Amino acid sequence: MTNQERKRVDPLPMKETKHGDTVLEARGITKRYPGVVANDHIDFEIKAGEIHAILGENGAGKTTLMKILFGLVQPDEGEIFVFGEKVNFKTPLDAIHLGIGMVHQDRKLIPAHSVLENIILGHPRAGNILDLKTTAEEITGLCDKYGFNLDLKAKVWQLSEGEKQVVEILKALYRGAKILILDEPTSALAPPEIQKLLASIKIMTGDDLALVPFITHKLPIVLTVSNRVTVLRRGKVTGRLQTKDATENSLAMEMVGREVVFRLERVEVDRGKPILQVENLSAINDKGFQALKDISFSVHEGEIFGIAGVSGNGQQVLAEVLAGLRKVLRGKVLLEGIDVTHSSSLDKWLKGMGYIPSERVNVGSISDYSLVDNVLMNYYFDDEFSRWGILDYKKIRKLTEEIISEYGVAVPGPDTAAKSLSGGNLQKVILARVFTRKPRLIIANLPTQGLDVGATEFVQNKLLEAKKEGAGILLISEDLDEVLSLSDRVAPIYEGEFMGIIPVGQASREDIGAMMAGLKHRVAGI
Amino acid sequence: MWDFIARSLNASTIFTIAALGELIEQRAGILNVGIEGVMLFGATLGFIVAKTTGSYLLGFLAAITIGGLIALLYGFFTITLGGNQVVNGMGIWILGFGLTAYVGYPYTGPLGMDRITDFFGLSPFFFVGVALIIVTWWVFSKTSLGLKMRSVGENPSVAEVSGINVNRTRYLSVITSGMLMGLAGAIYSLNYNPVWSINFLMGWGFLALALVFFSMWNSFILLGGSILFGTLWQLSLNPELVLPGVLSRYIWRTVPFAMTIIVLVLMSTKWFSSRWGAAKPEALGLPYEKE
Amino acid sequence: MKLGSYEVKLEKKLKVTGWEAAAISILAILIALVLVSFIFLQAKVNPLIGYKEIFSFAFTNKFGLPLTINRSIFILLCTCAFIVPMKAGLWNIGMAGQLYAGALGAFAVAFAFGAKESPNSTLSPGIVIPLMMVGAMLGGALIGAIPGFLKGSFNTNEIVVTMMLNSITFWLVAYMIKDGGPFMGGGGEGEGYKLPESIFAPQIFGGPFTVLIALGLAAFLYFIFTRFKIGYQIKTFGLSPTAARYAGISSFKIPLLVFIIGGLIAGLAGYHNFAAVPGVYKITQNYGNYGDLSFYGIICGLISQQNPLAAIPIALLFGGLTNGGRYVQGKLKLGFGIDYALLGVLMITLVFFQFFYRYKIVWKKIDKEV
Repeated sequence: MTNQERKRVDPLPMKETKHGDTVLEARGITKRYPGVVANDHIDFEIKAGEIHAILGENGAGKTTLMKILFGLVQPDEGEIFVFGEKVNFKTPLDAIHLGIGMVHQDRKLIPAHSVLENIILGHPRAGNILDLKTTAEEITGLCDKYGFNLDLKAKVWQLSEGEKQVVEILKALYRGAKILILDEPTSALAPPEIQKLLASIKIMTGDDLALVPFITHKLPIVLTVSNRVTVLRRGKVTGRLQTKDATENSLAMEMVGREVVFRLERVEVDRGKPILQVENLSAINDKGFQALKDISFSVHEGEIFGIAGVSGNGQQVLAEVLAGLRKVLRGKVLLEGIDVTHSSSLDKWLKGMGYIPSERVNVGSISDYSLVDNVLMNYYFDDEFSRWGILDYKKIRKLTEEIISEYGVAVPGPDTAAKSLSGGNLQKVILARVFTRKPRLIIANLPTQGLDVGATEFVQNKLLEAKKEGAGILLISEDLDEVLSLSDRVAPIYEGEFMGIIPVGQASREDIGAMMAGLKHRVAGI
Repeated sequence: MWDFIARSLNASTIFTIAALGELIEQRAGILNVGIEGVMLFGATLGFIVAKTTGSYLLGFLAAITIGGLIALLYGFFTITLGGNQVVNGMGIWILGFGLTAYVGYPYTGPLGMDRITDFFGLSPFFFVGVALIIVTWWVFSKTSLGLKMRSVGENPSVAEVSGINVNRTRYLSVITSGMLMGLAGAIYSLNYNPVWSINFLMGWGFLALALVFFSMWNSFILLGGSILFGTLWQLSLNPELVLPGVLSRYIWRTVPFAMTIIVLVLMSTKWFSSRWGAAKPEALGLPYEKE
Repeated sequence: MKLGSYEVKLEKKLKVTGWEAAAISILAILIALVLVSFIFLQAKVNPLIGYKEIFSFAFTNKFGLPLTINRSIFILLCTCAFIVPMKAGLWNIGMAGQLYAGALGAFAVAFAFGAKESPNSTLSPGIVIPLMMVGAMLGGALIGAIPGFLKGSFNTNEIVVTMMLNSITFWLVAYMIKDGGPFMGGGGEGEGYKLPESIFAPQIFGGPFTVLIALGLAAFLYFIFTRFKIGYQIKTFGLSPTAARYAGISSFKIPLLVFIIGGLIAGLAGYHNFAAVPGVYKITQNYGNYGDLSFYGIICGLISQQNPLAAIPIALLFGGLTNGGRYVQGKLKLGFGIDYALLGVLMITLVFFQFFYRYKIVWKKIDKEV
């Protein structure tokens, strides 16, 4: 039998499963990394036709567990059974062959290829010569069945985040997946898209597919969609419950180990004169589409102005434009009354802007640089730190040492390379670097994303402190609760437009959520 | 006039085949700036073998073999050891330049064999080139292998989780392209201009490299581009034929290179990428390591 | 892999120290020399005698040593021309083109002073020589500015552009010095015109004064990249262009600047090679081998881990090897091109050894199971 013939035979030895059969079982999964036990004797099982959510914060061990179940990482201890048989995954391919599919959060798709090519890529039944026509028909069948709507000939780079996720789901299903692992399936979607996805998921369980969504903190989603929940904390299972017995509060308790204070203590500061004024601002994104459409607002002294939105609605472009990293198409930007519309980033730093970028590793820091050199990133241009073009390393080292001790950065010393810092510590350094400049305007782009509870609280308190000291703060966040608890005014952003500018307290959480989805226009305007 | 056209097409054949080789590996994500070196190996060894055995066939086979072997070496440095592709490519080029200068020097001079039969001045290899273009297009757009190659060139880690052996696919494309480059070199030294002298390719390999960028990784544009480059080259040899007295021939020779720069700039504009996406294979030049 | 009771494993290195890099480079050069000895053997020459001849001519012979130094100056300048853009993460493969543009610039200045028309004229060296150097720097910087500008404005791949410019300059030089071109010399050999004796570069310690420029430049660059603001900006851009933009470093100015500086230095190398090396004083015919020495600059820059001071001894070694190689070719009646073969083998060996900058071999004793 030639290799090719062997491939033509259906390679997926999947057993027929009945509703309620246990399809996957993990026992005593343990994975240790230097200095941390990522998974500590985790037991977990999933049945056909069931949605079993895994809930936990960043660092709780979700990602490791997911990687183990998909064969990306091998556990140190423990056993996995698929359809009752013990398995030993060496690569994801072993998992795929046994009917496990995975929908990655960082899309595992090739942007330059068409949807169809992405789905058929590496498929065992794809012959030497591709039969795109038959494949397209089969995939259209899947789409119809689960209520997806997709142009199979489109290139993936032209698709929205939600559509890309659908392509990943289709790819897994077309490969014959019976168990679907979903990594943060709702994180990049707008509420209407979420509804559509949840509907499709419901149909899938009707087909006896088993679904395992991994979710960080969207408790309402967990409550609406799942049948069972396993909660992880610090690598251990802290709760195993039927969804019908759970409430938002009980889940949160299991997750963080204490009653969560959903509301920070508000700091009331008298609003001063405007620091940032934006008038009819428009800009285009990397793909050449207009991502910001005639946005106008102002940020005042002692105010946190929150922008809430699902990612990809123009908030990133807005942050970059204001930080001087992207060109303005139309409109006007004033910083303390001075026109800075076309000023460079450097110019804005010198005029009192401070920018905390969303990408800590690739934008906010340089991994190979020491902390001294990293701190220098925001100071090398100050006359105080250089003379005749020669840098004063003594001074900058002293500043770095001060930052380390004041902000409690856990590192051996200022010469430590940034790459050996944890996310929280790195964010502390970036934050400190910006705050020490005493900027008048702080643009904080997703400042707490990916941080654990402690670090999140620290960052949020620092923002409040800066507010107390009279800075104007533009907070961009995808976490509605964070925006609501920190900001004085909130602007939900949808497809590059503000759906309104609302003083916090004048609109309900639900209203703002709806506006983020583009459903409601202008509740109130100031 | 026909003579001029035939000579132009013969020159273009060498660009076509060498650049097609480069295109195949670039689609799989491997940049080989050592193309001139691989061609020099093929041209020199093909020349030596043909001259000593008196057989064109053996000469071409030797050229294809050495091209494949040098490519294998390049693949080992690039794929297995994961070294920097520009550095490795420079290494292959300088190795080719240095070794062929030494090895080929005693053979300096004309080949001294009967010319390969042509069709009214048109080399049979022209048709080989066109056929190869069509085959390449077909493989890339209609077959699993082509999809795999394109995928490892765009995003090897995605290809890997989709069940594709990235390294094997890349080796396959690198060796294929080395064989084509070796063949192209031999077509130069055995057919187009059968005289050996030191560093006689004079940058034809770089012209072929330029052509791949010029073609925006499309095999048909590559064919058109190579005919254009071939014509320009031929024009530079006898500019008085078409444009009497206009510019020195040396200035004409800079034109293909300048055009390539213009196309490169065009491709890197936002205007271009928002309409046609990034023409460039996303993972071009990046080493791939399994997680 | 298992060897006896030891397990051999490859491990990723996080950082290469200067000493490690030096050890790796020395090992690589030794292995390259061992490989080249096969060429000696094939030519029925005892490799030890071959190398003895190479090194004694290159470093102790009173005719050989000045040649070695001249080559080393050239290689060191090319290395600096490569290092500056490399610090910004950009590849300058265009030193060949830039240095020829520099040569054209220098000779254009001399041409303007009538050096070609009246080869015996007495020109004032105090005026013409500095102007020739400026001409060389301008010529190199002009060609260098193109990839820099395109990188900065359109993010166009600088590797391909510099390569294209090598070929363009190559034919431009041919136009200038051949077939009745403006700079053609009298010999009809397709060479450039010869400089009048009055503007030969001044000598110092029996060699051209450019040695001071090369050494001074290497030292200056070293301080630029360890102490200066501009060096910090370039390094930051090189490590992460996005982070550099965040820090207010212009992603237009840095590529432009580093390529202008690179081109400028390569232009000086062109001045040195054609207007300062004794016995040359013209754009020579063998410009045809334009893959020649300037590419040692790339090798040298990579081996030295972009440290301009570390590049000095390496440039000296390479200068000696190529010079001695050319010498033994005649002396021991070897085939033509042994120095090129040496260049090729050295390059490929160093390419291979790049691997050890990123990996280390770990030996571990396997515990016997009880």
